[in-house]
Amino acid sequence: MTDTAIATDKLTRRFGPLTAVEAIDLRVEAGQFFGFLGPNGAGKSTTIKMLTGLLAPTSGRMELLGLDFQKNAVEVKRQIGVVPEGMGLFERLTGIEYLRFVGRMYGLDRPTAEKRAEELLEFMQLADREKTQIGDYSHGMQKKLALAAAVIHGPRILFLDEPFEGVDALAAGALKSLLGRMTERGVTIFLTSHVLEIVERLCSHVAIIHKGRLVAQGSLEELRAGAGEPHGDQKTLEQIFLSIVGQSGAEQARLEELTWLT
Amino acid sequence: MADLAPLPGVFEQIRLIAGVRWRILKNSLRRKQNRWDLIGMIWVAVCGACVVVGVGVAFYTGGYEFVLKGKLAWLALLYWVIFLWWQVFPMFVAGFGSNFEFATLLRFPLNLRAFYLLGLGYGFSDFAAISSIFWILSMMVGAARAQLGIAPVMLLVSMLFVLVNVTLERLIGSWLEKLLAKRKSREVFLGIFIISMVSLNFLSPALQHWGHGARPVVMRYIPYLAWLPASLAGSAILAVANASARGLLLGLAGLFGWVVLLSGLLWRRFAAQYAGEEIRDSPGPAVLRKRAKSDTVRDEMPGVLRPQVAAMVAKEFRYLTRNGFAFISLVIPPLMVMFFTMQFGPGSMMKEHAVKPAMFFPGIMAYLMLILVTPAYNSFAYEGKGVQTYFMAPVQFRDVLLGKNLFLLGMVGFELVLALGLLIFRVGWPGTPMFLATVCGGIFAVTGQLAIANWSSLSFPKKMEIGKLKGQRNSGVAVWTAFGVQIVVGAICGVILLAGTWTGSPWLPALAFIALTVASVGGYVSSLEPLNRLAEAKKELLIETLSK
Repeated sequence: MTDTAIATDKLTRRFGPLTAVEAIDLRVEAGQFFGFLGPNGAGKSTTIKMLTGLLAPTSGRMELLGLDFQKNAVEVKRQIGVVPEGMGLFERLTGIEYLRFVGRMYGLDRPTAEKRAEELLEFMQLADREKTQIGDYSHGMQKKLALAAAVIHGPRILFLDEPFEGVDALAAGALKSLLGRMTERGVTIFLTSHVLEIVERLCSHVAIIHKGRLVAQGSLEELRAGAGEPHGDQKTLEQIFLSIVGQSGAEQARLEELTWLT
Repeated sequence: MADLAPLPGVFEQIRLIAGVRWRILKNSLRRKQNRWDLIGMIWVAVCGACVVVGVGVAFYTGGYEFVLKGKLAWLALLYWVIFLWWQVFPMFVAGFGSNFEFATLLRFPLNLRAFYLLGLGYGFSDFAAISSIFWILSMMVGAARAQLGIAPVMLLVSMLFVLVNVTLERLIGSWLEKLLAKRKSREVFLGIFIISMVSLNFLSPALQHWGHGARPVVMRYIPYLAWLPASLAGSAILAVANASARGLLLGLAGLFGWVVLLSGLLWRRFAAQYAGEEIRDSPGPAVLRKRAKSDTVRDEMPGVLRPQVAAMVAKEFRYLTRNGFAFISLVIPPLMVMFFTMQFGPGSMMKEHAVKPAMFFPGIMAYLMLILVTPAYNSFAYEGKGVQTYFMAPVQFRDVLLGKNLFLLGMVGFELVLALGLLIFRVGWPGTPMFLATVCGGIFAVTGQLAIANWSSLSFPKKMEIGKLKGQRNSGVAVWTAFGVQIVVGAICGVILLAGTWTGSPWLPALAFIALTVASVGGYVSSLEPLNRLAEAKKELLIETLSK
């Protein structure tokens, strides 16, 4: 068993003339709760799509759990769970039908898929909507269901693209506890979120992507040390993020342009 | 605090929204990724324009001839054609979709009057309205050429007629929108609509049986149509020819009355929308029906299929039961068997010219193939964002295709058994060789198409939504591919069946079809691996197209 859960080597993705992700070298150790941050359009979702097999890289390599993704795609997919951008749900199935389907697609036998689907629906507080089709769920409910589907097969790496967006505070609390317990059991969690407070609270390690390039990577402490605080105060992740992507103080300058509003 | 700008006037707001609509249309054309799709659209537009102009010539000729020959009463007939077209066609096009775009205008500071005028304005921009107005103009030009003096009255009458039509069309559209906003009611109505359309096929046999008896009843109610807009428009123009001021005034007053009545009703509908009427589906409160938790899970059933393939078959079945259109299409084959046998079978009015059972079987089979197999050429149409699951899960894409194809085979098999059973009941046994030839030919026709249908589904995906007709356009390339392949398969089957007749060997077609089926199954199996690779190559296209 390898200690490195995710490793990429010069991973690149181009869309015609646009380079969305350029030669990124990621390294995520097993059991880490890893936050992947970046401004809008920085290349976060493109990276996650490549790491989960939804998008082919233009060049570069990626290894998950010590396996070359391109050569062992099915074996890698068997060990990962994903909440993709857009959630990837079948809107005309009910919650339990979808979870059963996903469980079976991941190779679970019928009784196990059934049992886990029921337990997950209970946990996500979706069990009382037995006959409701997913298309009729609220956004938050769909998100919870997508999370349930991502973990039904007991993945060793979990990729979450904005997992808490639209989820109510109660459910978010329960989900955070669940994710915390999973990392204690050695599951690696790779998460993107725009809510930096959540990332700061949950993640032990962070990488920041900006304009397709990886501009920072390490533990929160390492990033704080790298950001260098002359007065010894501890910087928040938001401050670190803004200083790294070069936007610190920029909003003040932009605000001054909006004199008619402010 | 920023200073608030004064609001633009009603007409400025209308101009702005018209500009946005135009921009959206232009951008949507620019975004056409598939060149063939764009060509298809242009082709449809050119054909549509030709039809409109062609019918316009007919209206011009009608207007000219009726006025020249003094048969002004017949003008009412032309108005009736336009009236029915204008009111019925939009229901076919837009009836089963929900158009919330108009309601989103409410976020802007519009007053009710502007909202109403905008709503009415939308009514002038659809195909039915544009074509109808063009035909009215053609008819007016024709009539004016025959007798210039009739033009002013005809212009006034036609303006009122246009107002009646646009108001009524918007009113019906608005009622339909409210009625069909909920998914379940939309699907029920879609089902009723499709069954009604199919049932129209029975109109001719029904008229043959009961037509004579129904005629006097229909004729008794015809005079009541005189109070409807098209008849009023016709009678107003006729009154001019008869120099009857009273008749003219009555006709104009009648039309004006319709405008007032319909405008009042439409105002009420728009006022309700303006006040924030919520008609859409919403998650709503949970139905607190606790699911009985299974303490002991069922034993794993030994299955012949791999779990992934079995899961796909089960998922396809669930999707079929929730797709009203596809589900109802299962009812159509037995209905069509009934129709064809009533119309052309031994017991029909055709008697000695009736089609022989031996011809019926392959004929019906070809028809069933056309209905049931064509959707397989765009088989991911209804997956939506769910298509990502196939690429995230540890599954070879050939298993996804296999699951879909097995389900299709099962469904076609079920329909064939049903249709053949009905045929035997209605027209009799066609003889063992022909029966076997039909069954084997059917299996060949399906298996022979599957590999190409899978290739088409992967290469030319097009998103469609269940329970909607509005904006639901299948992939143009997929439709043409299906058409081409079905012609080839049909021709092969036809030649084989004829070969049996020419050579006087009744068993030849069955044997030939068995050999072809074996070959096509072999071809299908060997196509799965290349299709697996094609799916990987096309995954970005599939995800992007279907997840929109």
